[in-house]
Amino acid sequence: MSASPHAGPAGSCDVAVLGAGPAGAAAAIEASALGLRVALLDEQPIAGGQVYRAVPGIAPVRADRDRAEGDRLRSTVADANIERHFCHRVWHVERVDDEWRVHALGPEGPRTVHAAALIVATGAQERHVPFAGWERPGVIGLAAATVLIKAQRILPGRNVVVAGVGPLLLVVAKAIIEGGGRVAAIVDANARGDWFAHARDLVSRPDLVARGIGWIRTMRSHGVPMLHGHILRTVDGDTRSLRAVAAPIGRDGHPHAEVASTELLCDAVCCGFGLMPATDVTRLAGAAHAFDPARGGWHVIVDADQRCDLPGLYAAGDGAGVTGAAAAPLQGRIAASAVARDLGRMDANARGARGKKRGSVRAARFGTAMTQLASVGDGAIASIPADVIVCQCERLSRRVLDGAIDDGCATINDLKSATRCGMGPCGGRLCEDTAARLIAIRTGRTRTDIGQATGRPPLRPVDLDALAGTFDYDALPMPVPSPL
Amino acid sequence: MSATSANRYDLLVIGAGIMGATAALRAAQGGMRVIVVERDVAGSGASGVNAGTLSLQIKRVGLMRYALRGYEWWREAGEAVGFKRTGGYTLAFTASEQALLEERMTKKRDAGAPIELVSPAEARAREPALSDRVVGASYCAADGYADSTRTGPYLRGLLRAANVHLHEHTLARSIDAGGDGFRVATPGGPIDARRLLIASGAWTASVAAMLGVTLPINVRVNTVSVTEPGPRRLHAAIGHATGLLTLKQKANGSYLIGGGWQGRGSPATGRGEVDGETLLQNLRLARFAVPALAHTRVLRSWTGFEASVADHYPLAGVLPGVPNAYVLACVRGGYTIGPFIGPLVADLILGREPELPLFDPTRVLAVTTRDGSRAADGRVPGK
Amino acid sequence: MSNSDLRITRNVHRGAPIRFQFDGCGVDAYEGESVAAALWASGIRALPAGDGDGPPVRALFCAMGVCQQCTVSVDGVRVEACRTTVRAGLDVRSRP
Repeated sequence: MSASPHAGPAGSCDVAVLGAGPAGAAAAIEASALGLRVALLDEQPIAGGQVYRAVPGIAPVRADRDRAEGDRLRSTVADANIERHFCHRVWHVERVDDEWRVHALGPEGPRTVHAAALIVATGAQERHVPFAGWERPGVIGLAAATVLIKAQRILPGRNVVVAGVGPLLLVVAKAIIEGGGRVAAIVDANARGDWFAHARDLVSRPDLVARGIGWIRTMRSHGVPMLHGHILRTVDGDTRSLRAVAAPIGRDGHPHAEVASTELLCDAVCCGFGLMPATDVTRLAGAAHAFDPARGGWHVIVDADQRCDLPGLYAAGDGAGVTGAAAAPLQGRIAASAVARDLGRMDANARGARGKKRGSVRAARFGTAMTQLASVGDGAIASIPADVIVCQCERLSRRVLDGAIDDGCATINDLKSATRCGMGPCGGRLCEDTAARLIAIRTGRTRTDIGQATGRPPLRPVDLDALAGTFDYDALPMPVPSPL
Repeated sequence: MSATSANRYDLLVIGAGIMGATAALRAAQGGMRVIVVERDVAGSGASGVNAGTLSLQIKRVGLMRYALRGYEWWREAGEAVGFKRTGGYTLAFTASEQALLEERMTKKRDAGAPIELVSPAEARAREPALSDRVVGASYCAADGYADSTRTGPYLRGLLRAANVHLHEHTLARSIDAGGDGFRVATPGGPIDARRLLIASGAWTASVAAMLGVTLPINVRVNTVSVTEPGPRRLHAAIGHATGLLTLKQKANGSYLIGGGWQGRGSPATGRGEVDGETLLQNLRLARFAVPALAHTRVLRSWTGFEASVADHYPLAGVLPGVPNAYVLACVRGGYTIGPFIGPLVADLILGREPELPLFDPTRVLAVTTRDGSRAADGRVPGK
Repeated sequence: MSNSDLRITRNVHRGAPIRFQFDGCGVDAYEGESVAAALWASGIRALPAGDGDGPPVRALFCAMGVCQQCTVSVDGVRVEACRTTVRAGLDVRSRP
């Protein structure tokens, strides 16, 4: 029996696409249309990514626009001439001998896909700003709330505080109300007029602006208190009796000491501070990244054709910079065209998706404006009390991190080595941004110099037995014994 | 050179891992004014990323005396480095592995390590988590491990307390050798010293090249993995007859898996990569040895560089052809042995007689290059 | 059949009602739901800590397989509850 049952020609393709959200689905379908052999991998059971997330077996009776869009995406993926690997967790990618090896774990065991090109379309992840009690049961992310409500059709609570910053606040609040729940309050770090600053870019998508205004009207008509210019400072309480305290903040994010806080009684808290590109795959691959707040922070550097700086590596969608769902499909198609061209499989006369940039630029402008609206000033981080847990996995308080920074930790990797911040099961996804901001605030160094944590496999925790699979001891290729 | 004697160090050490740091400490103890220059942070190389194994069973016979002494340093450091004396088993699963085990462990015991051969039944009685496929085993009560991530901070603290200057995030860009010593160029400015010790781990060859010395150093890319914490199942540290597995369950319940399975990469790029296929083989071997590993999840795998020369003995002594320059690297089992051999080289630098013999680096220069252009002392003509 | 007040009743088509086990207790759910969502809807929000130095109590946070706080054992295998679909009779344990 071979020790690697899935290596070899059967697992080979021209391009592997990671992520079946809007960008990945479009990339896979376009690549297939261009005559390439495509493998599409996603952790979820069906396509849709996060924005169109759904589960088999639970569906609305009447689909709204998002659901309809998601269903359309799912059916084009299902009909496409591509290899689909759903419920597959990719745990490692490596480039060996001019090809990519994508190591995944699926329901039937390990699978390695060999591909000449790799398109990373793994989307974005939520940014969190710690507060006292954010680790308590009953506090979940805004993105988590959308998963529960839209995909699982379950409310986070019946009287929910929705807090943080950015477009997801209204999305979640509206979804709760539509689902029959109450929103105890919206706690928005942005001041009421902040969106004016981005008006010019927002009006590039008047339909989405109108939708947002409609949502605000809904909040008003339901009497939802909207606390602009506030952040959560504390959540305490038990099970479904929670007390959240929201404090007013200045433009820089610092709480106003003299102005009173607001106490909110609720049974669940949903909080999130915008989206950041998910860079774990591109980091692991060793591609070059840059830090740009307008794109959500650290993102992989891509050229106009979505190429990364490594041969055979491409990125599309929010992973290359948070520009939103509208801009994602075009980026996916551009990446697929670039792959076809780079593999010498594109007819010299074919235009591919290269030329259609205008719509992409407009969509990206709106997305970028949304991203810039989804940030909070350094004061919000600087004012985190010393006892607040920053790294939930390793239970590290701000005090511990500050101590290590004062002791000389200048980069996120230094801080990780010194304190174990980011070494827990979540791999720093909940804490790395905050930890880096703490270093910046305390040392004055730039985010670029502070860096990102080095990428290491597995990309997510994987069951050792599932990885090892069935094997014969005698078939293990033991290297020469160590010298005596 | 125009440096005054006031700002010239007696010794400049390049590399703040176990080798460089413990050598620096001894030199300072001996009255020298010492500075250590480190491209990253103390203990960021092999010293800080290895699996932490402190096992006499995996030491070379010819280095056993050094290992026994180095081990004492870890035991004294104790909790500060997470030292645990757990005892250790080495396992054999086939007849040929068992023969190998018996032959090797007998020699290692004769060299001074308290190792005994035990029956599979005995081993499994004491460690129920061991596979029932064990056909032979050896045991050493002294074996254990430390938390390698604590090496750097611990060394930093020792250096500070001894008033040894430590410049981290400081790359040695070039070295000029002159009549009265060395001038090392760094981003923070030049540093002058009468004597130089190169203790740069996997980067030793490139640092020696700055002085025109070509050291035939090979670099291996060793893979280590850690799992999520699980229920306490394993107490002793586990090894394999071939040396190709190290496995331990740490105090917090997570398992650390190593054994020298090879990833890819080189010190030149600074980055090593985990090879998916060899990682799986490493995990399979671990799983085979301790079935309880099933249903833990692997959290993280990484690689570390390990330097060696062809005969797998240390380079510990004078740098060939360069007066007042020394080198300490390529110590197999360096994590255990480092704290002893570092001070040994420092003794040489201090002009004292080292307690145990050192390992003359000139021996590796007996081989000429392909074009025969290397002189007998290792220097490239023209430098 | 589930008396949870958190399940949305308007405009939804669910699978058949089923029952699974969590730490030896029966939990009502519907086909298609994730273990995490079903536990949440049943009012089970806190999971006792696993081994090691981690937090004393864990709880659903990201609902998408990132934060790892909802990790449970299903047939002895540690998996994220938010990525595990309920099945009739599934035996879920909070600790290994």
